[in-house]
Amino acid sequence: MLVLAVPALAGAAQYGNMTLDSKVESMKKAGVGPVIYPHDKHEALFKCADCHPKVFKEKRGTNNMSMKMNMDGKFCGSANCHNSPDAFPLYMCTNCHTNVGAKKK
Amino acid sequence: MKASSFRKLKAALLCSLVVAFGYTVSGSVAEAVQAQPTAKPPAKKEAPAKIDPNDPASLIYLDTAGKPAGVGGTAAAPASQAFKAGMGWHPQALAGTGLPKDRYGLVDWAKLVRENIIKPKASLDPDEEEMPPLKMDVLIPAKGDFVNDVIYPHEMHTYWLKCEVCHPQIFVPAKGSNNMTMVGIVQGEWCGRCHGKIAFPLTDCNRCHSSPKAKK
Repeated sequence: MLVLAVPALAGAAQYGNMTLDSKVESMKKAGVGPVIYPHDKHEALFKCADCHPKVFKEKRGTNNMSMKMNMDGKFCGSANCHNSPDAFPLYMCTNCHTNVGAKKK
Repeated sequence: MKASSFRKLKAALLCSLVVAFGYTVSGSVAEAVQAQPTAKPPAKKEAPAKIDPNDPASLIYLDTAGKPAGVGGTAAAPASQAFKAGMGWHPQALAGTGLPKDRYGLVDWAKLVRENIIKPKASLDPDEEEMPPLKMDVLIPAKGDFVNDVIYPHEMHTYWLKCEVCHPQIFVPAKGSNNMTMVGIVQGEWCGRCHGKIAFPLTDCNRCHSSPKAKK
């Protein structure tokens, strides 16, 4: 379900930016674009085991993330992540979503 | 016999003289010792004895930067009327009131109203009629397919606010005619006019996004 546009770079854990756009239809309705997830930024801050496999399954397309899940404290919105004072909060739409307000009437 | 009694009398006299002299000397010394500390304490009292900004009972004045500016008088003899005002409403006093807090440590004003903990006057004008809260929930569908819809409670908002505070400048009073977006709200439009400023912040998504969508 989760379609990732950026292919994995050859080698080890260098994933760079990953585009999360499996829910792009719903995103369009909400007036936001796909999420560009900076995996490398997170690599610099955390160990693999901090997120994998507890928070995110490593296999692409198996997580079925949605904003609702984030809001309920899963995935990006886990208790020590973007649902806590340690990271920017979930309402900062533009920090993750591209094309925000593109469809705004 | 006579001589010995005279000698005794002489000894007693001498002894009493020594005692009397010693008393006067030691008394004056003791006075001198006592006089020194009584002269010093006022200077010591001027320095703040103990200022604990986290102690709601500590009598402190905060400057505009929120730092302790010094102590005033005592509770029995306040330095000024500002002392009384300061005792009534400052963050430290607020922390000591035991008002209910939400999970972000902010005062939960809605809970205060629901549990009748405070009863503010409707208006400063005694002649003004109090409008009862409007019991009307509005379902605001979230635009995406996944995020919970919002149930907007007029009741809690009209407890604090008049209709004119929000209508028609901020919200057109017709269902579906306000094209609200979360981005706009974050940037201070619609709900963001108050929430995140004087009302609870946007951090807790599910406090508003509370009505699950029918499963897709």
